[in-house]
Amino acid sequence: MPDVSLPTRMHKIRGLLSLPRSSRTVPILLLLILVAVPLITPSRSMLNLLTEIFIMGIFAMSYDILLGYTGIVSFGHALFFGTGAYMTGLIFARTGPKLGYLFLAIGGGILLVTVMALIIGYLSLRLKDVYYAMITLAFAELFFIIAEKWRSVTNGADGFSFNVPAVLQDRVVYYYVSLVLLALIVVFLRRFIESPTGKVLQAIRENEKRAEFLGYDVLKFKLISNVIAGVVASFAGVAWALQQRFVSTGVMTVDKTIDALLMTTIGGTGTLYGALLGSGITGMAKNWLSELAKVHPIFERWYIIFGLLYIGIVLFFPGGILGTLMRIRSTKNKPSVTISAGD
Amino acid sequence: MDTFVNLTLNGLATGMMIFLVASGLSLIFGLMGVLNFAHGSIFMAGAYSGVWAYSKTQSFTLALLAGMAVGIVVGYLAELTTVRRVYGKPVAQVLITTGLMLVLNEVLKAVFGPNIIAVSVPPLLAGSWDLGGIIIVKYRIFTIIVGLVVAVAGHFILTRTRIGMIVRAGVQNQEMVQVLAINIRRTFSLVFVSGAALAALGGIMMAPALGAVNPNMGLENQMLAFIVVVIGGMGSFVGSALGGILVGLAGAYTAWVFPEASLAVNVILMAIVLLLKPNGLFGMGGGRNA
Repeated sequence: MPDVSLPTRMHKIRGLLSLPRSSRTVPILLLLILVAVPLITPSRSMLNLLTEIFIMGIFAMSYDILLGYTGIVSFGHALFFGTGAYMTGLIFARTGPKLGYLFLAIGGGILLVTVMALIIGYLSLRLKDVYYAMITLAFAELFFIIAEKWRSVTNGADGFSFNVPAVLQDRVVYYYVSLVLLALIVVFLRRFIESPTGKVLQAIRENEKRAEFLGYDVLKFKLISNVIAGVVASFAGVAWALQQRFVSTGVMTVDKTIDALLMTTIGGTGTLYGALLGSGITGMAKNWLSELAKVHPIFERWYIIFGLLYIGIVLFFPGGILGTLMRIRSTKNKPSVTISAGD
Repeated sequence: MDTFVNLTLNGLATGMMIFLVASGLSLIFGLMGVLNFAHGSIFMAGAYSGVWAYSKTQSFTLALLAGMAVGIVVGYLAELTTVRRVYGKPVAQVLITTGLMLVLNEVLKAVFGPNIIAVSVPPLLAGSWDLGGIIIVKYRIFTIIVGLVVAVAGHFILTRTRIGMIVRAGVQNQEMVQVLAINIRRTFSLVFVSGAALAALGGIMMAPALGAVNPNMGLENQMLAFIVVVIGGMGSFVGSALGGILVGLAGAYTAWVFPEASLAVNVILMAIVLLLKPNGLFGMGGGRNA
């Protein structure tokens, strides 16, 4: 792996961008700033927006495990997000707003998502990578249709609202809850990708045949990746449902998956933090552009701009924003915070 | 018995309709191995512009031509600007064509508006014949005929003509064909554009059968088309036609027995085929990851 030489090279090139050398400093600084936000601004809409960015960031990071670390494109990731959200919504709507039921939702979500990820993964990952994209899409659509038609339970596209435990109703409290969840998941996913299993996944991404010849059971590792990504996505779904206190089939749509795809690609794949950055940019841009839509209806079609930006990034900046910044810093083709930190 | 015959006829017509949508994907994905996620958008571009042309001219022939022309133009532009850069890179293909899909869908909404546009079957093809309980809808027969023509012509061109031979050889070994002084890039462009034209044809054929066009029809039909190509097998034009018929028939029978499951039956059918024969029913063996 060429990554070994990264620290030495980084040493040579003195801060074109004065980012700290240690990959831990920036995240911790950022975390401290985010902890301070509710103390500085009383704006509820700002807190809500940031909470949404955190949750979608978790979702996008889980997507990065597939796209950035395993090298496979899923179009059905919203299925896992939606399962978490529906699990939470249905359990709270049918029982009562007690904190204990939340763990039931999380546990049930993990169980269900694991089973689904294994079945869908087994069907699709044995085949060429492109099949994975379409087969995940087909299954996500299947469950979307079930959610749409099974109106007695889900109330279809109209959705249903429910009460959440009193503790979680306070916006400031929930801001911190989602921030803590985000931090925990960052730590967990970094541990995962730095683990031997994570290294094998990256080897598969770089050269699948070679990994296979080295004796690794590629299918098994891809299935692990699929399950981990699915479970983390279901956590994001749970957190989303708790924030919105409302679930409809919107949580299962392809658009949700494409959102994660856009966030990860724009921010930078294979870095985890890139997915977070992408979530921040997308969240802010959506907020800002939908304000502009009131000025002129052309901004309702803002996805055109996003799509073009995205195509440009895929064609000319495959590392996304974060990857490109890091390349400028280290004049290296495929740097990644995670690998250099792990060695 | 009448019910059975009616269901079979409906299933056949639906199957041929699905095949028309899938035929373009069968070329682009099944043969060239490019997973074009913008396929549904090109299909939709054909449907919308065809419907627009039909409402302006009242001529279904002109609508078909206009739809296909738009498909060709969009396909050519897509190939020229983006798809050309990612031949042989599957993940990049999926990513880039997804971007194309997003942009195209929004452009379509900006041009034709985000609402459902109703469209009726042309008078010549409207109505049905009643043969003692067996009802034959004229437009369905028309669909079956068009589908058969496309299937036979496509199969003939791919297997019996020089250009078809070059395409198949180029898929097998691009460099070798290049060495023989054949511009394989241009041939691939031609295949991509032909696939786009077929997608657009599928779109404008589908519009009167559905009774309306809507901005969600692209992805739905693209998925159906993909399922058909997977079931039929990669690289087999006839396989896609049979896959389409299989999906159409399965859908029609389930809709009669258990309507709620008719949408799920496609995905289940695909799952079964993938479990038993990962290369599809008539595939050339390109599917399995080896």
